[in-house]
Amino acid sequence: MTISSYSERPASKLAKVDDEADALSVPWSRPRPKRSGVSARVVSAVTILVVLAAWALSARLQLVSPVFLPSPVAVWSKFVVVARDGFVDATLAQHIAASLGRVFAALIAALVVGVPIGLAIGISTIGRGIFDPLLEFLRPIPPLAYLPLVIIWFGIGEPSKILVIAIAMLAPVALSTASGVRGVSQERINAARSLGATSMQLVRHVILPSALPSILTGLRIALGAGWSTLVAAELVAATRGLGFMIQSAAQFLVTDVVVMGILVIAVIAFGLEFVIRRIERGLVPWAGRE
Amino acid sequence: MTHLVLDKVSVRYDGQPAPAVENVSIDAAKDDFVVLVGRSGCGKTSLLNVAAGLVAPERGSAAIGGRPIIAPGSDRAVVFQNDALFPWLTARENVAFALRLRGVGPSERARHADKLLALVKLDGAGDKRIWELSGGMRQRVGLARALAAEPQFLLLDEPLGALDALTRERMQTTLLDLWTASQVGVLMVTHGIEEALVLATRIIVLAPGPGRVVRSFETGFSRRYAAGEAIRSVKADPAFAAARSELTDAIFEGEAA
Repeated sequence: MTISSYSERPASKLAKVDDEADALSVPWSRPRPKRSGVSARVVSAVTILVVLAAWALSARLQLVSPVFLPSPVAVWSKFVVVARDGFVDATLAQHIAASLGRVFAALIAALVVGVPIGLAIGISTIGRGIFDPLLEFLRPIPPLAYLPLVIIWFGIGEPSKILVIAIAMLAPVALSTASGVRGVSQERINAARSLGATSMQLVRHVILPSALPSILTGLRIALGAGWSTLVAAELVAATRGLGFMIQSAAQFLVTDVVVMGILVIAVIAFGLEFVIRRIERGLVPWAGRE
Repeated sequence: MTHLVLDKVSVRYDGQPAPAVENVSIDAAKDDFVVLVGRSGCGKTSLLNVAAGLVAPERGSAAIGGRPIIAPGSDRAVVFQNDALFPWLTARENVAFALRLRGVGPSERARHADKLLALVKLDGAGDKRIWELSGGMRQRVGLARALAAEPQFLLLDEPLGALDALTRERMQTTLLDLWTASQVGVLMVTHGIEEALVLATRIIVLAPGPGRVVRSFETGFSRRYAAGEAIRSVKADPAFAAARSELTDAIFEGEAA
């Protein structure tokens, strides 16, 4: 990224990852009017190409058995076949739709439950007293650990899968909301109160919009957590879904489908991240500029 | 006429052994421009917050128009040093905020907000986003937003403190214009000695440890500006320089020179 393109973007705290990447690629401490050398984006592209080439070469030279590492070409042709004919009774699109459906259903559930919890933690000491220990208890537990319990309670149907993903998403949503609420400046709240805002109006018109950048960051972290939980959730009694597809393929050592599934998940996660950053820029253009 | 009255007010913050303010009384009429000055820690802002209803006094009482002040209210709109504007709203929507809280419809809101924006000389800036505005413009929006609540009194907590010297000087006349045009009483906190003289009809000098009133001056410079005299000519008057030195002495009274 060049310095001029940097100034065009909102200097958002949400773009922190980019900033860090920039810091790594700029070893000089003082800003330079014109960057010599290559941009981080070009380096990234070259890195990806090198990895692909190494992969293709090792497959071509048969350094590793195809059972362990199928060639890129084999993975690609498998992608085409699965996209057209499907794998284990469902097309690739159906697998993707099943997984996306679960992740988004869980996301909505996590937002509906997590944002009010975050508000309660951020606004009232009683709310914090109630929900903080519960979230701190839930947060570090790996989803695979509570998956069996959820199945015992709610069976092996769709609700259990969504619930497992939603639980993994709940803590990031609630904690980000709470930190956003706590970050609202006292002056802003006092100004609104002196303009005649009631408590409810304060939450609706001042606290929620102030916390929105933070809530969106939580949403982004939650989606990441959701994707990592997806495969675990689809381990049990699923008939569709990317996680299920990878699991079934692994049982029959169909490694090219496994690799293809991993890549599809990666591409979708990357795409979602991109979309959410766009939404953030559109929805909270003021973040970092106040 | 409505009065804003602080009667023998003492303020002590939780966990503090000494009070921040002790036994201070202020009576501001609705045509007054009362300015509180004093060194850091003299409790200026604490007193303003008592008037705003944001801080409860330990002893004494506060009242507006005879009614006790127990909570913030739109009859006493506050403007802070950091404008505390809402960045998700445009300048116009910020100004209209108090009207929105009261359920005024969108078109009526916009019409009224545009009138107030014109009053603070920001005509045509209504659609601007807050981060597109300079510090001085933001404070103008903040003032218009406070006036939209149709307050009896404006409570100003160093509203010009964060501005550069030139902008500050221009904003002082803007403040006086607003004060005459909108007929609100003003209670303002400032560090600026000249600013106090330019704006005030009454200057209350506070001293720290604990915050208390040491002097109270009636001044006429702002009324002279309001009556049509140019601000430069007011400031060039030898009486202005004399008042400044008297005020400076009062602020640093008891301190080794």
